[in-house]
Amino acid sequence: MQASRSLLSRQLLREVRQGVAREPYRCFSCTVRHAQQQPPPPKSPQDAPGTTHFGFETVAEAIKEQKVRGVFSSVASSYDTMNDLMSLGIHRLWKDHFVRNLNPGRNPLASTSTPTSTPGSASEPQGWNILDIAGGTGDIAFRMLDHASTINNDAHTRVTVADINPDMLTEGRKRALSTPYARSPRLKFIEANAETLDMIPSSSIDLYTVAFGIRNFTHKDTALREAFRVLKPGGVFACLEFSKLQNPVLDAVYKRWSFGAIPLIGQVVAGDRDSYQYLVESIERFPSQTEFRDMIKEAGFLVPGQGWEDLTGGIAAIHKGVKPIS
Amino acid sequence: MAPARLSKSLLGSFRATSLRPATARQQCCYHSYEYTQPPPFPPAESAILSAAISHVPSYGFTSNALKLGARDAGYLDVSTNLLPRGVFDLINYHLVTQRLALKDSVQFPPQDQPGTGKKLGVGAKALAIMAQPSYVPTSVAELARLADEIWFLAGDASVDTSWYTKRASLSAIYSATEVFMTQDRSKNFAETEQFLDARLEDVMKVGGFLGAFGEWMNYTGHSAVNVLRSKGVRI
Repeated sequence: MQASRSLLSRQLLREVRQGVAREPYRCFSCTVRHAQQQPPPPKSPQDAPGTTHFGFETVAEAIKEQKVRGVFSSVASSYDTMNDLMSLGIHRLWKDHFVRNLNPGRNPLASTSTPTSTPGSASEPQGWNILDIAGGTGDIAFRMLDHASTINNDAHTRVTVADINPDMLTEGRKRALSTPYARSPRLKFIEANAETLDMIPSSSIDLYTVAFGIRNFTHKDTALREAFRVLKPGGVFACLEFSKLQNPVLDAVYKRWSFGAIPLIGQVVAGDRDSYQYLVESIERFPSQTEFRDMIKEAGFLVPGQGWEDLTGGIAAIHKGVKPIS
Repeated sequence: MAPARLSKSLLGSFRATSLRPATARQQCCYHSYEYTQPPPFPPAESAILSAAISHVPSYGFTSNALKLGARDAGYLDVSTNLLPRGVFDLINYHLVTQRLALKDSVQFPPQDQPGTGKKLGVGAKALAIMAQPSYVPTSVAELARLADEIWFLAGDASVDTSWYTKRASLSAIYSATEVFMTQDRSKNFAETEQFLDARLEDVMKVGGFLGAFGEWMNYTGHSAVNVLRSKGVRI
């Protein structure tokens, strides 16, 4: 125990030293200063034509996809442990709340006892057709299926998990083996880019979810328009994503934590500092609640109420949009 | 010179407000005959909620009623996510539409006791939902608006502190009666009506007493001051 701890600390020290040598402003003590001194670059989604942001860096659009792929390939295996450590386990509560609020699944008891059932409802496909974008590890998908089966007694709701990253999908397939859905037709994994969902027909999806994924997209507006296309009229776009804290005091504490601790945890646990540095920078760069709400509106969605729900004071937020009928 | 300018500028600002285009969303927090109030709910929400209300008699204020309403309106089950507060939005819709419909349904002869003549009750379960801490502010605000509407329809035009006391007492009576109604098993809610009459009588009595007491205080105070003045005290 003692030996392993000292080994760990020595390794940590070495890594930090290496970090200093490699990139002077990426070291632990500097990242906080770096984050505070350098105000987030202008809010415009693209700084120059053909470029986009990757964390605080500006990169060519063509490269961002590869870089994001690299990040998630390297974190795929330790994804769950890292999420638990970084969010102190709260991400599970957020995901549970997200799914419970959406209440997926069509309760057969409620629909059969309908006194005024519309003609043709019998021929309607049962259950919901859910598309979980950037859900490679299946976190949201398994929760959706569990909720539909146990809460709504719906054995027909199916989830298509789409992810751009094959490593994350492999991780998800591996995890699916320990659930009852591994070999059922209710769960499907596909490799897809959220901006071009050609394999998904238009107006075919009841619920489009994206949890902690949309901030990595190169063109968020294109992805939103694609979501609008695949959703049925009346279908719902639901997005769980890191957002902006409303309280300045909590925000200061949170910034300390995210720029100070998270890259360090990434380095110690996953052995990959840069990926987690990207993670916190991409969170910082993501538009605020109102800006993102307006982006959803711009894509043609109706937003419920104020358009979002803050979780833990705004560290994360749930945004929803409903595709209008006709 | 200065006061004239001030009055002119004041007049100007009044003109500016009165010339504001009517298309601009005019928020009136009082009863106005000049401006039409914007519809309380956006069209899509309204379509789902109005269809859902027709399922309330058989399903109660539940998410099932909401889902069936969404289906009737041509939406999907999942579209109920358009209502962020779910069942509470349905209850709120019922309360708001009933309140707004009050002015068309209430007819009472002049010089009569104010009476709503219409049952607005929502039931025990809905009351329980409305009492959930996160919904309390909206519920209380709706109660205040209802009390205001009732006094307005009753022709109340008071501009003194009784404006507040009247609304407060009516809100108290209303909520007490509603709670009583949830336990009332009598035919046609006869007991509730008795209860309501008794409470209104109480208010009359208490209000009458307070009014008389105030008048007496006023008289005594003035007398005392006048007596002192007559004795040469400079007040």
